[in-house]
Amino acid sequence: MAASPSTTAPGPEPSVRAPEPVAERHPQPARAKQRRTRNRAGKRPQVALLILAVPAVAFFVVFAYLPMAGLVVAFKDFDVNLGIFGSPWSGLANFRYFFSSGDAPRILVNTLFLNVLFLGATLLAGITLAVMLNEVRHKLFKRTVQSVIFFPYFVSPIVISIILQVLLAGVGGSGGAANDLLKVFSLPEVSWYTEPGPWPWILTIVKVWQLGGYLSIIFLAAITSIPEEVYEAGMMDGASRAQMALRITVPLLRPTAAVLLVLGIGRIFYGDFGTIYAIVGDNGTLFPTTDVIDTYVFRSLRQLGDFGTTAAIGLFQSVVGFVLVVAAVLVQRRYAKETSVL
Amino acid sequence: MRRRVEPFTVVSVVGVTLFAVACLIPFWMILAGSLTSESKLSISGYSFFPKPFSLDAYETIFTGPAVLSAYRTSAFITIVGTAISLAATSGIAWVIARRLPYISKPLAIFTYIPMLFTGGLVPLYLLVTQYLKLQNNLFAVILPLLVAPFLVFIQVSFFRQLPEEILESARVDGASELRIFFQIGLPLSKPILAVIGLFYAVTYWNEWFHALLFISEPDKYPLQLLLQNLISSVTNAATLPQSTAQAAPVYQIRLALTAVTIGPILLAYPFAQRYFVKGLTLGATKG
Repeated sequence: MAASPSTTAPGPEPSVRAPEPVAERHPQPARAKQRRTRNRAGKRPQVALLILAVPAVAFFVVFAYLPMAGLVVAFKDFDVNLGIFGSPWSGLANFRYFFSSGDAPRILVNTLFLNVLFLGATLLAGITLAVMLNEVRHKLFKRTVQSVIFFPYFVSPIVISIILQVLLAGVGGSGGAANDLLKVFSLPEVSWYTEPGPWPWILTIVKVWQLGGYLSIIFLAAITSIPEEVYEAGMMDGASRAQMALRITVPLLRPTAAVLLVLGIGRIFYGDFGTIYAIVGDNGTLFPTTDVIDTYVFRSLRQLGDFGTTAAIGLFQSVVGFVLVVAAVLVQRRYAKETSVL
Repeated sequence: MRRRVEPFTVVSVVGVTLFAVACLIPFWMILAGSLTSESKLSISGYSFFPKPFSLDAYETIFTGPAVLSAYRTSAFITIVGTAISLAATSGIAWVIARRLPYISKPLAIFTYIPMLFTGGLVPLYLLVTQYLKLQNNLFAVILPLLVAPFLVFIQVSFFRQLPEEILESARVDGASELRIFFQIGLPLSKPILAVIGLFYAVTYWNEWFHALLFISEPDKYPLQLLLQNLISSVTNAATLPQSTAQAAPVYQIRLALTAVTIGPILLAYPFAQRYFVKGLTLGATKG
């Protein structure tokens, strides 16, 4: 829910399904059903009803579909005075410029590597937390823990960035809580904000902190839908709690995890702009490990004002992203049919 | 029969407790730090206990005009944005949920496509700055986030669970479709309206990206953007040699402003949390 249009949370995404007949959910006498169908077919929908959809439709046209058309700017030599559609065509020059710039491999590798890391770590954390929470019998304690671990999800990237500075930077780039902790174990201090090496892991920890509780709620919902008999059977056979968690709960969570994984893979080409940009900002020393497509695009736009090239990168990202998302949705539907979860 | 406490249970309780503590510590450090005197903060950068105690930062924040005006801006974006978003989202969700022939299905696809493919940053930037001319207008922050397709579909699945009989009986009594929506559909949907409203409200409150892009006049900064500027300025100050004599307690102010920014969410959280959980589980199981 955070800042940018491309912020990714491997959260649930609804799928559009073919409308199922209402009667499936509300079984009722055949006659009533018949009357309704006749009503619906016989009466034309009241036009007034459509007014309700107008604001949202207007929004989608202006802020979703117009920008899609605006992507032609990727093939243009953009001139502010001539506008998007008046500027001269430049063919693939913008794409060539980006892919020959030498930045392309770095930001592509970073985007994929970081997202794989985030996805794996957050899913693992979500499952672990859910399985552990499931062991907690004390109701109040459980609810309190859930509330607490869910809270980071609602904190803005800016606040997270401040927290990191308090922990890592301290004053004048040295000190900070983390370094003081290192000192306790007589380890050498690290100048975190000038050292690109550890940042993929720091960002991963941030993502786990941010999303672990959120995902654990989704997994916990899946656990509650596991029939009690399964566990009773396990208990009869003398399984320990640990065995039941590892041999029953975790395997039964696999479909949910698979769906989330597939959806996450679908969005793997979109960096988490909000979090990364808020934390790293324009700190060039960290770019080798943290610069992703979204932050790169944003910076080129702001600093160079090069609309053509930036749009070309954006289009490239959208197209590859689209292919991945569609593939993900197709796979997800197959899973969804089998599992009825998500 | 009392169940024997097994090692796995103990490990689990310890595990979730540790994670919960790890979630809390940063917030405690911000709160404690914001109440700690700059004399300590400017040496260590953090503090676990507000000692020596000081309210300097809060005093500076609430006597100066910048923070109060940013608070007003954020409140405006959140309240106006959430209201419009809720109206637009419920409206389209209702039309999709009614399963009107030739209308609902195409409308659902129309709503779904933006989840798959986006124009990206550059066309949006050009649209808002060159064509709509919304620079330094708060609606530049509100409008790009107005309708989230994901929330539309959550709402559709809720609307479809409403008992058809009630709507049907209103129809038989001659109520118009619009009247059914306003007088029956919406009142029956209060729980989901709360969930969706809260999702929008948090999004708007935390929004800074569009503000960063489109708002350049400091007196129109929302809270998050003000805070972001403080990050970079303190970072800059920190990398500079200490010759920049600091009159204001910058470290403390930074933490106090963070606390003030989280404040409203923290206050609303106990009330909102159960709705969030409900909404999430609904989204997760119904889709």
